[in-house]
Amino acid sequence: VTAAGTVAAPGRVEPGVAPRRPGPSLVGARGGIWFVLPFMLVYAAFVLWPLLYGLGLSFFDTSLVRDESQFVGLANYAQLFSDPEVWRTLWVTVLFTIGSTIPLVVIALVMALLVQTGVRGQWFWRFVYFAPFLLPVATVVLIWQWLFSGDFGLFNGILTGMGLPAVGWLTEPEIGLWSVVILTVWWTVGFNFLLYLAALQAIPAQLYEAAELDGAGGWRRLLSITLPLLNRTTGLVVVLQVLASLKLFDQAYILYKANGGPGGSATPILQYVYDTGFTDYRLGYASAISYMFFVLIILIALVQARLSRRSAS
Amino acid sequence: MTTHRLSRRTLLRATAAAGAAALLSSCARGPGGAVDLAYWNFFTGSDGELMVGLVDRFRSEAPNVRVTDTTLMWGPPYYTKLAMACAGGRAPDLGTLHASRLPTFGTDLLDEWDVDELAARGVSMDEFPEPVRKRVTIDGRVMALPLDTHPMVLYYNTDICEKAGLLAADGSLAPITSADQMLDAGRRAAEVTGSTGIAFGSADNLGGWMLFWSLFRQLGGQMRLPDGGPAEVDRDATVQAMTLMRDMADGTVASPTLDGQAASAAFASQQTGFLIHGPWEVTTARTAEIPFSMTQFPALYGDTPYVRADSHSFVLPAQAQVDPAARSAAYDMAVSMLRNSLDWASGGGHIPALSAVAESPQYLDQQPISNYRGAAQVVEYDPEAYFSGSGSTLMSRAGQSIQGVTSRALTPEQGADDLIGWLDSQLKLGSPL
Repeated sequence: VTAAGTVAAPGRVEPGVAPRRPGPSLVGARGGIWFVLPFMLVYAAFVLWPLLYGLGLSFFDTSLVRDESQFVGLANYAQLFSDPEVWRTLWVTVLFTIGSTIPLVVIALVMALLVQTGVRGQWFWRFVYFAPFLLPVATVVLIWQWLFSGDFGLFNGILTGMGLPAVGWLTEPEIGLWSVVILTVWWTVGFNFLLYLAALQAIPAQLYEAAELDGAGGWRRLLSITLPLLNRTTGLVVVLQVLASLKLFDQAYILYKANGGPGGSATPILQYVYDTGFTDYRLGYASAISYMFFVLIILIALVQARLSRRSAS
Repeated sequence: MTTHRLSRRTLLRATAAAGAAALLSSCARGPGGAVDLAYWNFFTGSDGELMVGLVDRFRSEAPNVRVTDTTLMWGPPYYTKLAMACAGGRAPDLGTLHASRLPTFGTDLLDEWDVDELAARGVSMDEFPEPVRKRVTIDGRVMALPLDTHPMVLYYNTDICEKAGLLAADGSLAPITSADQMLDAGRRAAEVTGSTGIAFGSADNLGGWMLFWSLFRQLGGQMRLPDGGPAEVDRDATVQAMTLMRDMADGTVASPTLDGQAASAAFASQQTGFLIHGPWEVTTARTAEIPFSMTQFPALYGDTPYVRADSHSFVLPAQAQVDPAARSAAYDMAVSMLRNSLDWASGGGHIPALSAVAESPQYLDQQPISNYRGAAQVVEYDPEAYFSGSGSTLMSRAGQSIQGVTSRALTPEQGADDLIGWLDSQLKLGSPL
């Protein structure tokens, strides 16, 4: 391995200059391990070990408040399949993922196109669209709690001002989850926007010039050049977004003060895991639920990878 | 160069030695035989300020005790951390606990209070109201020392109620003795305010649960939650209590969309004539400087005005190694806070648990907070289960069923079946204790 990387092409060796002695490569030689070791140790201690430990926990009836625990085999897994709360909260997470991914991709794309197609002061729009993403989740939720507030909120103030009925943003079971979606779109759309903007700026200008010479209008150029060339980015954005949305927890947890939203309509499965493990002390069962969810996420990721490979080829 | 290197090494060594010394001294007794005492509580807001006052009073009474007080967010954050600290053997020397959480904590995680030690400090268990004493005693052992009782109470705006003709001749609220009268009072108050008559946390887990549990118990409802299930719940009483709550949250008598904070804000801004809430909201009403008074929540069903309540209490979390000096200081501190609970009561609206304070003229003179002191005799704590109590899963899950009913997404029958079905499946999971 060492030799292959360092053999210089014969033609490039200048006469009179001895070829440099091949030193040990950082990639292949034994020395390399010392460079990754610090990271590997941290990674093993805080990712790999907990991952294995959690898997082990899921086969025990471990409790947070009891010393001894018993091996229960697959009992925890058997239990979760008959626990309606698991499936209900899983559905909440899936619904959120679908409901948030679509606007987070479409709106990000539209924003990037608007900024790219010659708005003045591009830096300003870039900053404004990305700024919410920099806010910590607690701050974002605090702002939106006031906006959504049923009796004193800005949204209901505007609605009633226009003679429309007030909406129970945080109190109606049919709306509770969609309020989380709206908040999340505002908060995180800037990240996808930035990915799209970078991709747009990487499209060579001569493609547009050539198309223009051929008489293609603005819409034609958008549909035939811009969007096809953004395919790869769209694939990336969708994958990242689906994985991020499946992890829904913090904003819903804080927005509804840990109570799961009106009628439990905004309880994501991760919150059920948290509640089961830390509020009800049933760590073993909580681990089983999270591993079921983990497997599901891996399956989704595999399917997505497959789809994007197929569309690329 | 040599001198440099030497001096650097000396410096490093000295630093390490100093650091180790600091570490050691933080674990051990301080100078002059001072005792370190770690105290955890969950009081924020106005109760938090009052609690700091109580801690400072003790600090001045016992200058040789160095109290480190830690405040955590109440509810799951606090109870999770306390349970883990107890299970790990490194709990604080003194902690605060809702008496309703004793079923979770009472079995292994706490040490009992030694009644002789308490007697030596002049406190006898006879000095606490009977229902409160019963709740904190498990198998004859005193597991928690109650500081107060905080029942759900009825606030009323005296101006609005006068205009609505709801006051008696002496200016206090005319007795309300049935559910129909409560609804009627709400409607009449709504005519005066032009919006709604009563504010309660219809879209709030704690608010919904407090009212539900009071009505359910007034209806004679029983809820037993045996490990392994099924739940033994009075379905008729559940349906009837939920029906009244739905009838109240009709948009005229009460709004169906208020959470706890919004409910007290609506009362404080005189948009409603009544508020059904915990006594601690007295701060909000006082700050708003509105004309108001408070009374015991009335019996809407039956003759006894049972009311959902809880008690802030002090506990001795289990430790792997108990330092006798710190344990003794924990007794001193708890007793000191009980004795000084008048400020706690007058500021936070809580009924003092210790009779010496609850029967003192200084407390009895306090208006309107001493009006509802009788509630301490008819308090109804939450049903006993590892998942029940203040800030528990039961409260939030039952709150969901109740909100389903008050928002009219579920009928009262569906709401009752939803709650009972969840209780069954939760019990079937088995206790983690």
